[in-house]
Amino acid sequence: MKSKLMERGMEFVFAVCACCSIAAVALICVFLFANGVPAMAEIGVFDFLIGTKWAPGNQPAAFGILPMIVGSIYVTAGAIVVGVPIGLLTAVFMARFCPKKLYPVLHPMVELLAGIPSIVYGFFGMAFLVPLIRNLYGGSGQSVLTASILLGIMILPTIIGGSEAAIRAVPESYYEGSLALGATHERSVFFAMLPAAKSGILTSVVLGIGRAIGETMAVIMVAGNAPVIPGGVGDKVRTMTANIVMEMGYATGLHREALIATGVVLFVFILLINLSVTLLRNRGENA
Amino acid sequence: MKTKFIKACALAAVAAMALTACGGNSSGENGGSASAPITVVSREDGSGTRGAFTELMGILVEEGDTKTDNTTVNATIANKTEVVIQNVAGDPNAIGYISLGSLKDGVKAVKVDGVEANAENVLSGDYKVARPFNIATKGEPTGVAADFINFILSADGQEIVSDGYIPVNSEAEAFTSDGSEGKIVVGGSSSVSPIMEKLAEAYQAVNTKATIELQESDSTTGMTSCMEGTYDIGMASRELKDDELAQLTPIVIANDGIAVIVNPENAVEDLTSEQIRQIYTGEIADWSELSK
Repeated sequence: MKSKLMERGMEFVFAVCACCSIAAVALICVFLFANGVPAMAEIGVFDFLIGTKWAPGNQPAAFGILPMIVGSIYVTAGAIVVGVPIGLLTAVFMARFCPKKLYPVLHPMVELLAGIPSIVYGFFGMAFLVPLIRNLYGGSGQSVLTASILLGIMILPTIIGGSEAAIRAVPESYYEGSLALGATHERSVFFAMLPAAKSGILTSVVLGIGRAIGETMAVIMVAGNAPVIPGGVGDKVRTMTANIVMEMGYATGLHREALIATGVVLFVFILLINLSVTLLRNRGENA
Repeated sequence: MKTKFIKACALAAVAAMALTACGGNSSGENGGSASAPITVVSREDGSGTRGAFTELMGILVEEGDTKTDNTTVNATIANKTEVVIQNVAGDPNAIGYISLGSLKDGVKAVKVDGVEANAENVLSGDYKVARPFNIATKGEPTGVAADFINFILSADGQEIVSDGYIPVNSEAEAFTSDGSEGKIVVGGSSSVSPIMEKLAEAYQAVNTKATIELQESDSTTGMTSCMEGTYDIGMASRELKDDELAQLTPIVIANDGIAVIVNPENAVEDLTSEQIRQIYTGEIADWSELSK
């Protein structure tokens, strides 16, 4: 009897814990949409989403966040270009090529990369990457390129971890079968195992996109944050996250609500990304 | 598949070459009036410092009901005084503006219209780029809060203010504490915080029974938290807005100059207000255009 009561009691505790996280997500959704959507309506959905001028201090104020949306997309795309090839090849190396003695060194290093706080990445970017790009490329050094490189480094652990696990999950028989057909080690890994791990690798890339688009502190320190659509990789850029965090402190009234509405747009982006992760995972399981 | 991989490698190599090729024409070491594009560093929209600076320099244009901040869209935006300093200290071609009291080594303040940026010149009115520092309370302050405000406005408090900032009352009387006990929270603008820290320290030495907790955030948070009662005293580096004035009583505790800063390697020593306005609106985009 007593143990049954205990059983019930603990079940209840677990249910409450589960509800906590669900409640947190629900509250965030309610807060974002309740505050952001009226602001969008007041500014005008189209003026807000495809307006190219952000000047909240002006009268009449302009709240166009297209530069920030484009900025976020550019920087994220840049991070993928930088991070995916390096990350994927590292994952291949770690899963199939790494000498046994090197692995215990390499693996914790990659884990460490994930554990470094983003503000430290930001300092690294500001003290090292910005002057480097300034000397190589000209301009102020704070640019789409700098932010892309920094974010590319930051998403490495996500991509390496996910891809490595995906490659390791491929049945050994694929590799052996390929060898038996006369393929070399390299050929077997790249043309038999990688395609089989495709959906896991794609999932890790999409998770990397999620990390890149949501990153804030590090990007602020290297991106220059000018609210204008960048014309090239050497131009300054402001992402949606940077827009929110930089101006929230001083914003009042409609300006503040416009920043929350920027959060709504970001939230929708993240939702889409998570949705595609789920889809990819499902497809992977069915395949 | 293999050709794809080779193509990717080739692409990466081309990109790397393009990157190095673009170098060389960069500005590098020779800042100053040599030909180099100006890196304009500004603060974020809504910042007290930016509000004051753009208004004083004529970058903010008011026409009837409209106000337009003409700061060039290509300006680097920094969200803290410290970040402006870092940006300018790290880039030979940068220009920025910060609170005069926050000025430190690593950056160089230029003369504006031939007047050096220091406390005496702000007090005498010769240095035009200045603004008030406000503190605000909700209703009549009592206990430690009232005693602390008396301290700030006394001769002792104003003497501390005069180190870097401009006192509001040069004929104040010496301070005697009423011996209030307790703890208060003071918070708000990061521009006001450095001086508030010194004031709080000095006050707690006089009145050992009082504890002052300082929280650094920003002007708007300072005012909002003061209205909500989280802060006993809020700090703002700007004039209070109408909705804030409805609930809060502001007191000016000091005046602050805004220093226009450049990298120490930069040869420029003196700028006119008109040149600063042109730089910040993007009409002048290269240091070499200044000498014309």
